Amino acid sequence: MKHALHKMNPSLKFLLLTVCMITMAFFFDPWTPLLFCIGILVLQILFSRINWKKWLLFMIPFFVTAFGYFWSTIVFAEDQSGPVIWSFWVLNVTETQLHYALSLSFRILAFSSLSLLFAFTTNPNTFIMSLMQQLKLSPKIAYGVMVGYQFLPVLKDEFIHIQQAHRLRGATPEKNALQRLLGVRRILIPMLAGAVRKAESAAFAMEARGFTGERRTSYFQVITVSKIDGVCAALFLIVLLLSCTNRLWIS
Amino acid sequence: MPNVICFNNVTFSYPDEEQPILKNLSLSIRRGERVVITGPSGCGKTTLLYLCNRLFPDNCDGILTGSLELFGKDSFSYIPGEINHRIATVFQDPDAQFCMQTVEEELAFTLENLHLPREEMEIRIFEVLHLTGLSEFRHAIIQKLSGGQKQRIATACALIMEPEVLLLDEPIAHLDPYTAKKYVEWLDQLQIKRKITIIAIEHRLDLWGDFFERNIQLNKTEDTTPLQKRNTSIQENASFLANSISAKPFLQEVSFTLNRGEITVLAGPNGSGKSTLLKALCQLIPLNGTVQPERLGYVPQSPDFLFLTKSVHEEVAFGGGNDVDKMLTRLKLITIADDHPFAVSHGQKRRVAIAAMLSDGRDVIVMDEPTSGQDAAALSELFQLIDERSRAGTTFLIVTHDMEFAYCIADSILLLNNGRLTGKFPAADVWRNENLQLDHHLLPPKGLMSREACFT
Amino acid sequence: MLKSWKLKEIVLMSLFSVVFGIVYLLFLHAGNIWAGFIGPIAYEWIFGIWFIVSIICMYIIRKPGAAVISETIAATIEVLLGNAIGPRLILTGLIQGLGAEAVFAATRYKRFDLWVLMLAGVGSAVFSFVYGYFLGGFAVYSTGYVALMLGLRILSGALIAGVGGKALSDGLLATGSLRGYAISRSKKGESHA
Ligand SMILES: Nc1ncnc2c1ncn2[C@@H]1O[C@H](COP(=O)(O)OP(=O)(O)OP(=O)(O)O)[C@@H](O)[C@H]1O
Ligand SMILES: Nc1ncnc2c1ncn2[C@@H]1O[C@H](COP(=O)(O)OP(=O)(O)OP(=O)(O)O)[C@@H](O)[C@H]1O
Ligand SMILES: [Mg+2]
Ligand SMILES: [Mg+2]
Repeated sequence: MKHALHKMNPSLKFLLLTVCMITMAFFFDPWTPLLFCIGILVLQILFSRINWKKWLLFMIPFFVTAFGYFWSTIVFAEDQSGPVIWSFWVLNVTETQLHYALSLSFRILAFSSLSLLFAFTTNPNTFIMSLMQQLKLSPKIAYGVMVGYQFLPVLKDEFIHIQQAHRLRGATPEKNALQRLLGVRRILIPMLAGAVRKAESAAFAMEARGFTGERRTSYFQVITVSKIDGVCAALFLIVLLLSCTNRLWIS
Repeated sequence: MPNVICFNNVTFSYPDEEQPILKNLSLSIRRGERVVITGPSGCGKTTLLYLCNRLFPDNCDGILTGSLELFGKDSFSYIPGEINHRIATVFQDPDAQFCMQTVEEELAFTLENLHLPREEMEIRIFEVLHLTGLSEFRHAIIQKLSGGQKQRIATACALIMEPEVLLLDEPIAHLDPYTAKKYVEWLDQLQIKRKITIIAIEHRLDLWGDFFERNIQLNKTEDTTPLQKRNTSIQENASFLANSISAKPFLQEVSFTLNRGEITVLAGPNGSGKSTLLKALCQLIPLNGTVQPERLGYVPQSPDFLFLTKSVHEEVAFGGGNDVDKMLTRLKLITIADDHPFAVSHGQKRRVAIAAMLSDGRDVIVMDEPTSGQDAAALSELFQLIDERSRAGTTFLIVTHDMEFAYCIADSILLLNNGRLTGKFPAADVWRNENLQLDHHLLPPKGLMSREACFT
Repeated sequence: MLKSWKLKEIVLMSLFSVVFGIVYLLFLHAGNIWAGFIGPIAYEWIFGIWFIVSIICMYIIRKPGAAVISETIAATIEVLLGNAIGPRLILTGLIQGLGAEAVFAATRYKRFDLWVLMLAGVGSAVFSFVYGYFLGGFAVYSTGYVALMLGLRILSGALIAGVGGKALSDGLLATGSLRGYAISRSKKGESHA
């Protein structure tokens, strides 16, 4: 079961997550997203093998965002009614303000943890394959995006390569910061140009392999919907239901 | 026998060019023929091939007049990709002909396009890998293979469609001599068994023996005198030191020195780490060990990434060399001096990179397969240039699979096998030692054999 | 819609969408953090960044759909890689793309000069602003503040997306690697005329 989330059908997972997020958007209180977020974390701990160090690293910007929203809502919110529960320098934090601020930042955390769950347990290739097989995405777009995605690491290499080419050819590196910033353009354009050429050669290769863009009749990598998907879907829905009905069982 | 491909008075020009690249061309190729297309570098051979598999003129906005029939039907009546089931192609550039990540995915993608049932895909993939002797690469990531390995994978991808016509654009230019010989023998068997029509582009026909039935010459090639073994210009003092170089995960510790004016050939089987070693020497990849001096001239196996400017002329002049025009003339680039370095033929790109490096005035120049894809005239000019430079004190380290060229130019030979340096040998020792050659997939050069024949 | 497209155009569009999807996400993170400090107006002046791929793709490929599809794919990539807004972002992308597409459609995909590109940036800005007004709850802010936001966003759309997108594409065109795409075909036409 440790692999359940990785094995889940990616399209189904995507649809489920979308449903969860849309439902979340209707609840504007601190508890629902907080509980949901915890539920998602528990699911992830139980049913996936992800690198938690990396997860934390990716979470950092979201934490910062959530915190930013938290305090800016407290400072700027218009509705300042309700009893003051906390006072700090010239600021008086009322209950409503705190309520808004917490709701907003927990929602961001809930969304981020869901997004990261998807990103960390889904292989992009399998996802595109599944979009094509289950959701009937056009093969032209599907393979186009797949090829585009595969070029990402290549583009990174290209960036290094072009810098090295400059060095090899004896172009002198810029000294001051402004020049260096302008110098990025000298690398950016060749990099995009390289990407264009790569896209072209990939398109030629696809055509040369007889790709006409019509729908395929069978796949080598068949993506199925199986029992595991049912179980996972049920788990997600239970977490969603429990957190949305928190009023009934908390207090 | 019916014609599979028939050009009737075809003229083709690229959108920006005034002169058509193919002019009033008429030719027909019958089913089951083995045809070779020859002609000087840049005369339009690859362009011709792209017309045969219908990638052009659609994809480049070129202008085509005359009629071009494929399997008896006008080529425009096929939708893009349709004809490619029947006419399979192996492209010239090993780095620019794949669209998937692993070998298996690439093969499966091809079969999905043919609408085969899944069970049959499995069988065909197994068979074609077995047939081409590439089973070990089934799960390999294509980006990480060596140039020669990629070229062989490309052939497998073309064959798995069981095409009626096979178009090969210099298929053995990146193969080591032994593998190249095997490739030709194997293609021969395959053609006899399956009766495919084979149309290949090739500059050097000696490795092919009597494989081809017919030679279509696109433009007249210049007459050149065969290469002559050069006299050594090696000097006393060392000019290049590589001290226990290694690069993870493949390249084991390598140390050697080169003297001023020395020309060294680096040889070894496909995938033995030659390109990796050169990249390490130029510090393009992370490495351990030290290199002296640090500034080298480098001609990569796929020269595209070196180009920084908008025209061939600027590119060669970039390093601040003088006599740019002379260099362009000698390497037959003067006609394309104003063209964009990316929009020239494959062999021309390679010569642009060579010209740029030779004009840069570096003391040590390393070159990765500068000979592949060059016609006889360009090869001879390249030979002369390197010879002159070495006399002026430049040190060269050259990777090549061309044994004639190596025989004529090398003072010494570095042999590499499986990421390990076997050693640095005086050239004559290698040509004398058959076991050493066999171990490193080399073949004895013809020059040597004819000379031996004289002595006996 | 994709029938008349060449495969190499589709692959190019997808590749750009993926690349800019990542750029968008980086800016989204940066913008979020920034907005955390000075409130929602922080986004407005860099908003044009998020329209740029639709304009670049349309300017290069010049076929119906280039703006919408590329912007939608880029938004999908942002969602896949993880963001704080959720899958709603795909809808946002679609609407921004439609804004640009509408402008190009109004010229019948015939004109691609600087003014049209800037107008397309404005189109994206307006569409996305209307969408944001109703869904993002800008209604709570005072009219003056909203007008300032709209003004900034339009300016940013025209300058960053319109002018910036054109500059980037023209830079690419000069490298010669866009041969065989509509953009280089028309450049010739213009110089002949
Ligand atoms: N995309 C392009 N746009 C414009 N001109 C091109 C393009 N590709 C090639 N050419 C021109 O067409 C000529 C022929 O190119 P082609 O690749 O067909 O040569 P080739 O005979 O295959 O040469 P080689 O043996 O070096 O591979 C070259 O001189 C080049 O300048
Ligand atoms: N980027 C890479 N990452 C990991 N392994 C690589 C990478 N590039 C090459 N290799 C591996 O290193 C080995 C040597 O590759 P290299 O390209 O140096 O061979 P080569 O001797 O130049 O062969 P060829 O004659 O075919 O060009 C190959 O087995 C290849 O699989
Ligand atoms: Mg060629
Ligand atoms: Mg190599």
